[in-house]
This record gives sequence, structure tokens and C-alpha cells, in this order.
Amino acid sequence: MKDKTIRRVLFFFLLISAVLVAVAVRAVVNINRSMASSDWVNHTHSVILELEGLRADLVFGDGALHTFVLTGDARDQAAIRAALNSVSDHVDIAKALTRGEPAQNAEVAELETLVDKQGAFMRDVLAAKQGGNADALRALLAADAGRAAIQEINQKIKKLKDEEMALLTERDTASYLQAQTTRWTVWSGVVLDVLLLGGVAWLIRDDIAARQKAAIALQAANEQLEQRVKERTAELVAANAKLSSENLERRWANQAMEHQLRYNNLIINSITDLVFVITKPLNISRINPAVSRQTGFDLSEIVDLPLKKVVRLTATGGDAMFDPVARALNDGRDLQDQPALLVDKRDRTIPVRFNLFPLRDRDKIVGGVVILQLSPTPRA
Amino acid sequence: MIPPSHHRPVEAFPPSPRNGVGWRRLWRAGILSSLLCVRLSALTMDELMNDPKMTPQRFAGLFADFKFVLQPFDVQDPKVFLKTQSGDCIDYAVLADHVLGAKGYETRLIRVEMVGSNIGHAVCYVTESKAYLDYNNRVYFVKLQKCGATIREIAGKVAASFDANWTFAMEFTYNYKEDKKHPVYIVVKTDPPAKDPDLARPPRAAKPSG
Repeated sequence: MKDKTIRRVLFFFLLISAVLVAVAVRAVVNINRSMASSDWVNHTHSVILELEGLRADLVFGDGALHTFVLTGDARDQAAIRAALNSVSDHVDIAKALTRGEPAQNAEVAELETLVDKQGAFMRDVLAAKQGGNADALRALLAADAGRAAIQEINQKIKKLKDEEMALLTERDTASYLQAQTTRWTVWSGVVLDVLLLGGVAWLIRDDIAARQKAAIALQAANEQLEQRVKERTAELVAANAKLSSENLERRWANQAMEHQLRYNNLIINSITDLVFVITKPLNISRINPAVSRQTGFDLSEIVDLPLKKVVRLTATGGDAMFDPVARALNDGRDLQDQPALLVDKRDRTIPVRFNLFPLRDRDKIVGGVVILQLSPTPRA
Repeated sequence: MIPPSHHRPVEAFPPSPRNGVGWRRLWRAGILSSLLCVRLSALTMDELMNDPKMTPQRFAGLFADFKFVLQPFDVQDPKVFLKTQSGDCIDYAVLADHVLGAKGYETRLIRVEMVGSNIGHAVCYVTESKAYLDYNNRVYFVKLQKCGATIREIAGKVAASFDANWTFAMEFTYNYKEDKKHPVYIVVKTDPPAKDPDLARPPRAAKPSG
């Protein structure tokens, strides 16, 4: 969850950065275009200024010319010269400024022709005045009655100005629209970035909420686990206590059984009857001390010996092939008080009463116990 | 007629006896003038023309004390300009062109027209120095303004010094005797720069020195 959120936030920030860069680039491009539009507006103003300057200098020069004709003052002559120079400058500049506008440039060329004509007229008047040629001067001035040339130049300048004003409106509109585009670009970028930032904020808030939820769930799980551990511990403690108690009881039971076994052994060992424990195949597996005393066999000598070697039933029922002890053992029957002979280590026989008790492990006969009672000795 | 130069104020607080800063400046100027043996009398045309060590930097350094006064005439008589120590940008530029041109430097007079009425400025570009001399820089330590050689570059730099936009710039020639400016190239800002007429300028012809 964490990595995913970080990736998403990074992605959003990359997007925001991309939008910022795009907006900045777009804004710079728009500003450059806006500056270009502004340059065109300035350019148009400049053309208008030059035309106005041209008209002013021409009118000023014309006025100075007429004054000079009347007064002959050298200052007026200098003013005429300066005005003509300035007019020439204005025409050159106007021509250069309209280089990129063929229609206006052609009109400026026409204007230049008229201005040159007017300049030539003014120089002719100056020359006539300086030369003292009154007739020529009068003729020149008479030809210029009504100042038709100046009027024509004025008309031409007015027409050019009107065209430049129209261009000015057009260029100003372009400049305004460019500025408007820049504003839209910047505001759109800002709004988009704000939206993206809102998205990031929502993402972070969502992530924090998810983390809080996960933390609460984890805390609940921990508490549940803790509770289960407590319960399990309590169960284990109880089980341990029970087991300890059982162990104690078992130990007591074992001790009781050991005592019982020891007492049984003591009883068996203390009685005078001879006790044999035999296996199912009728071999001796254990004896009591009375057997050793009576027969002279050590325990090691007698264990595993067939019972027949030591004890023989005297009444077999006339069937020598049939062993009544094996038969009784197989049948699970007792044989009680049967006459028998005990054979000791020196092969002497002793009359005894034979008793057999089969030993059972559950329902299965695993061996038997033979108890021999010594027959009472006839009293002398 | 070239419109009079529009000058930004070069000193916000000119020296004044009522101004502590002004007194300190005057005192420092006096001490430095004494130490550097700077002449305090007016310059003359002969001194300028016959100075064997004349360079654009040296020329620019001689006008630090000149005042800006808008002249009614297009270009002032240089003798009056030097004597009165007052004039405007074109007086300075034309004089620089005259003096340094005579010393063999390739100089160009450039008029830069900025937006609005009567906002024009003239400078003298010296090709060897790759810089122009500007009357407005006469009081600064660095008096030569480094700049590219095209009229467009010069116009851009000059207009930037006024924090203004330029509309067109004109390279022209002038001599005191004729007292008439002759346009050589006119560069219009809105024209494509590649079509600027001065880019087709012929290679420099060797000028006789002296």
C-alpha cells in the first residue's frame, strides 16, 4: 500500500511539474509573441510619428520660406535648410519603416516624389530670392497659389495615417488577444495544478485514513491475540496443575504397587509351598526360594528347564502320550490337588500335591503358576 | 531633425553644499584632480585632434564633468560644446566620430529611436573596441559599452539601458562642415533580422590615420 501511494504521489508531482513547465514554456512563448505584437504597435506609432513630423517640418519649412521671401533673414534661410534636411530624414525613415508593408511603402514612395517636388520648388524660390530675380520669384509663388502641393502632400499623409491607424487597431487587437491567451494559459495552468494538488492531498488523506484503519485493525488483532495467549496460558497452567496432581497420584499408586509387589514377593518367598511360574511351552521361568531349598537347584540352573524335569504327575489317566498339564493349560483350566513327584538335583523324588493355575493376559493364556504342596510325612 | 536625447538621471543627488555627500565628493574630486594632474580648464578641439595618445577610452574619460543640456540645434558646434562643457548625446557622439575617425578608428554613428515621441539616442560605435561611446556613461568607471557590431545589437543594448523598446535604428554619417546627416542604413525592429540592411555592409576600407 505504501509503495503504491508513493508511486501515485510521485506521479502526481511529476504531472504537476510537467504542467508547470508546459505553462512556463507556453507563457514565455506567448510573452514573446505579445512583445512582437507590441513591437508592431510601436512600429505603427513610429510610422505615424514620422508622417506627422514630415508634415510639421514641411509646413514649418513652407512658412519659413514665405517669411524669408518677405524678410530675407538668414535665420529663416537656415530654418528652411534644417526643415528640408529633416523632411528628407523623415521620408527615409518612413520608407524604411514601411519596407514590410508593400502598399504603404508604395504610398510613401509617391509621397517622396511629392516632397522632392516641393523641395525643388523651395530651393528654386530660395535661389530666386538670393539671386534677386523678382519676376521669377513672383512667378514661382504665383504657381504655388493655394499651396496645392502642400495640400496634396497633406492628403497623402492623411490617407497613410488612416491606413496606419487601421493597422494600429488590428495590431493592438492582436496584442490584446495575445495577452488574453497568456492570461488564459497561466490561469488554466494554475487551476490544473491546484486540481492536481487537490488530487495529491486527497490521495495522501486517503492513505493516512487507510493506515489509521489498518493500525486500529492491527491493535484489535493484537488485543485478541493477547487475550487468546492469556486464555491458552491459563489452560496450560491448569493442565500443568492437573498433570502434576496426576503424576503425584500415579507416583503414589506406583509406590503402593511396589509395596504390594514387595509384600507379594515376601509372601511367596516366605511360604513353604513350592511355586513355579511356567511359560506356555511348560518351561520354568521363575521359582520361589522354597523350590531351591527343596530341590537343591539354584535359580540359574532351574530357569528354562522343562517342568517335566522337576515335576511329574503320577496319575496321567493311562494316556502316556497325553500331558494333562499342557492340556489344562491350553484349555485354561485349573488342576488342583493332583498327586505328583518332585525330582530334586540328586534325582530323588518327593511326593507332592500338584496345583496348576493358568496365567491370563486379558483373554490369552500366556503361562501358568504351579504350586506344589509337600505331602504330609507319615508320622512315625 | 533628430529628436533631442532623452536622458535618465545619472546622479540622483548632485553635489551640493547642503548635501554632505556632495561636499565629500567635491573634496575627493579636488584631491584626485590634484594627484592625477587632471586639467580643470576646458578642452579644445586642437588638444583633442593633436593628442597622439588618443584612444576611445581616453576620449571617453575627458567628459566626466560635462553636463547634459538639451540643445535647440541638431548638432552643436564642437567648440561651443567643449567650451561650455554642456551638450547632449549627439554632440558627444559626433565629436567622438570626428576625433577618433581622424585617428584611424573605424567609427559609426548610430541613432536609436525608442517608443514614443522624442525618445531618441545617439552613440558612436568603435569597431576596434567592439564597444560604443555613450554620453550617459561619461560619469561611470567603465565608459565604453561592449557590444556586437550590428545595428540591431547596438539598438537593443542602448534601448535596454533606457529600459525601453526601440522601433528603429539608423546608422548615419555627419560632418561639421556640411552640417547634414546622411542615413546609411536604417534597421527596423519588426523586420526579420536576417534582412537587416547593415548585414550586407561592404568590408572595411583602410582609413588613413592622423
